Amino acid sequence: MPYKFPSEDWIKEYQKAINTSEDYKQSGATWTAGSVCLVVTANPSVGIEKDVGIWLGLHKGVCEEIKLVPLEEAQKAPFVIMGDYSRWKQVVLGELDPVQGMMQGKLKLKGDLPTIVRYVRASQDLVQCASKVDTQFMDE
Amino acid sequence: MEGYKNKILEVDLSNFKMDVIDILDEDKKRFIGGSGVAAKLFLDRFNISADPLSPDNPLIVMNGPLTGTTLPGTSRFVACGKSPLTGIWGESACGGNFGAELKMAGWDGIIFKSASEKPCYLLIEDSRCKLLDGSDLWGKDIYQVTDILKARHKDGKQMKVFAIGRAGENRVRFAGIGNDKAHFAGRTGMGALMGSKKLKAIVVRGSGVCEPAMIDEYNTLRRTLIAKVSDSVPAQALRQMGTDSGMDLGMMTNDVPIKNWAYPQDFDLSSNLGGPTLTEKYLTKVHSCYACPVACKRVVRVADGPYRTEEGPGPEYETCCTFGTMIMNKDLAGVIKANELCNRAGIDTISGGAAIAFAYECYEKGTITKQDTDGLELRWGDIDAALKLIEMITERKGIGAILAEGTREAAKLFGKGTDEFLVEVKGLEAPMHDPRGWHGMGLGYAVSTRGACHLQHMTLYIEQGMSAYPETGLKANFKGPKSEEKAEMYLISEDLGGPCNSACLCLFVLGCLSATDFSEMLRVTTGHKDFDVQGLLKSGQRINLLKRTINSILGMKREDDRLPKRILTPLSPKGNAPDIDLMLKEYYALRGLDETGRPKRETLEAAGLKDLI
Repeated sequence: MPYKFPSEDWIKEYQKAINTSEDYKQSGATWTAGSVCLVVTANPSVGIEKDVGIWLGLHKGVCEEIKLVPLEEAQKAPFVIMGDYSRWKQVVLGELDPVQGMMQGKLKLKGDLPTIVRYVRASQDLVQCASKVDTQFMDE
Repeated sequence: MEGYKNKILEVDLSNFKMDVIDILDEDKKRFIGGSGVAAKLFLDRFNISADPLSPDNPLIVMNGPLTGTTLPGTSRFVACGKSPLTGIWGESACGGNFGAELKMAGWDGIIFKSASEKPCYLLIEDSRCKLLDGSDLWGKDIYQVTDILKARHKDGKQMKVFAIGRAGENRVRFAGIGNDKAHFAGRTGMGALMGSKKLKAIVVRGSGVCEPAMIDEYNTLRRTLIAKVSDSVPAQALRQMGTDSGMDLGMMTNDVPIKNWAYPQDFDLSSNLGGPTLTEKYLTKVHSCYACPVACKRVVRVADGPYRTEEGPGPEYETCCTFGTMIMNKDLAGVIKANELCNRAGIDTISGGAAIAFAYECYEKGTITKQDTDGLELRWGDIDAALKLIEMITERKGIGAILAEGTREAAKLFGKGTDEFLVEVKGLEAPMHDPRGWHGMGLGYAVSTRGACHLQHMTLYIEQGMSAYPETGLKANFKGPKSEEKAEMYLISEDLGGPCNSACLCLFVLGCLSATDFSEMLRVTTGHKDFDVQGLLKSGQRINLLKRTINSILGMKREDDRLPKRILTPLSPKGNAPDIDLMLKEYYALRGLDETGRPKRETLEAAGLKDLI
């Protein structure tokens, strides 16, 4: 059954995908830099009235917590990556590499860039996990 | 036209006479400046068939119209001539502060003709130019000679120095020229050419300014561009981690060559050698070229251990590859030491490091032995032997004398099939971006007018998706390991990169801007309206055709537009390699070249280059 992106159901599936990924377990094994929040900016045309964040409590290759949060809370994460719905759709579909997306300015990063660069492999593995979730996009 | 000082100093080193010449306005419009104008001067005024190390080969140091303005990324200048390494057109651009200072002293460039009988250096203080005895400087390394000359001419504003080291003196064919210790015209052996002229250094101090044609629009544009550059993530990555920020991402995308281009991914290497590690363990401060908001230059220090260094210029990404991944060395301190030795000697860290990795493979395969290396064991992972080889190359001692000729010649001298280990095009060792991950880069290596090159075009940015330039007609989202549609992409990236180099704008800064921004920089600086985006691309076409014509006269043929066998061999059973035949066929048609690789008559006519027919 496909899960709407973003939704409570989708993020639960995403957490499962992360925590069953052997690749992420390895590439994120030394990650102790804190939570990452993926913010989908408001887009009423697809039904997203306000900015919404997907909070990933990542620690040593495990996603310990996942939740949907408003922008104010999202901005408290050490790493915040923001983009509009179409960009995140490209990321989830594996069409846009998130680090490349940041380099191109398609996704905006708040946080320590060297840490992101060091964990570029882990970030790609996280995207792979998102691609594994059976997803229904809100504009389809 | 504004943006130029309308004066080039011509120095005859055989009799110490000096003259002043100008560039035709028509050539400024056609070729912009920098290496474009230098190539035209080279073709018009010199015997281009002369041996590269003979007095008849000129050394041309040129600014561009943007050099010395306060727009972002305008520190660049270029050293040109026939390359001692490749025997074809050679050019090597450099950042730093020398170009801007030369412009402020009132000069668009300097042409050195003939050769001096004894070591000398050129002192420029605005319009006052003197050749002085440099005998006491001969034998000094670049750091030493820079310090000596700055102290010797210390009255007033600090001098800017452009000097060679021992490698240039000894005509090591990939010797470079250093500006104030930290910035290098590294590629194609311009340091050897300078050394052949017994010219140790150029020292300059200028008191003028570089006035733009349209000051109000210039000021507005400047503010806009600085904000844009500062806001771009590539610029932030360069500022925070230097060019080595590309190592970790490059390893993911198969961009990083390993073990002399013969080994697939190794994340342990990139983790130890990448920008984050350089920043955390060795960075002491960052440094910028003139008028640059990016500040990608690293200042580093190895505090202790066998590779201890004083605080000084740090390695670029390329150097972290050539003295790191290419020889399987994961000790970044050792890379920093190698970088310091090369900087002092004036060795191009790309060609120098590539020559050393080539020697390592020859040793592994048994084609050279300890008897050939003066007892040195060249083992993968061992930086100590590489450090020793740098010294041997610099002084042309033992095997160093062979490697100092470049890898193409070294393979001929070693024989025994060692040409299988070569990764060079037209004699220039390839930079550290693997075309098996990015096929368009492979086409760039094959057809670039100075040999395997990643900086004569914008392919690095475009193909890897960091920049798009839709105003030029480029499509977006190119897949790296695909050869289809790459010829057109490359052609446009070449037509954009040529003007960028000739205007003397930093490619890293253009990577953060649009083509329209670039055309605006030229328009407000020169006041010339034809530098719109299409005009720029036309200039790029002309610049490329001019250099290609020079190379054709020098004997380059279609078979020289090629990729080495190693690059055409996949790294793994699942890997792939560029379809160079497809890309070349398409490129030749798009560029208007005949079957020999020479521009067709109608191509030259349509480009406004009848004078090259």
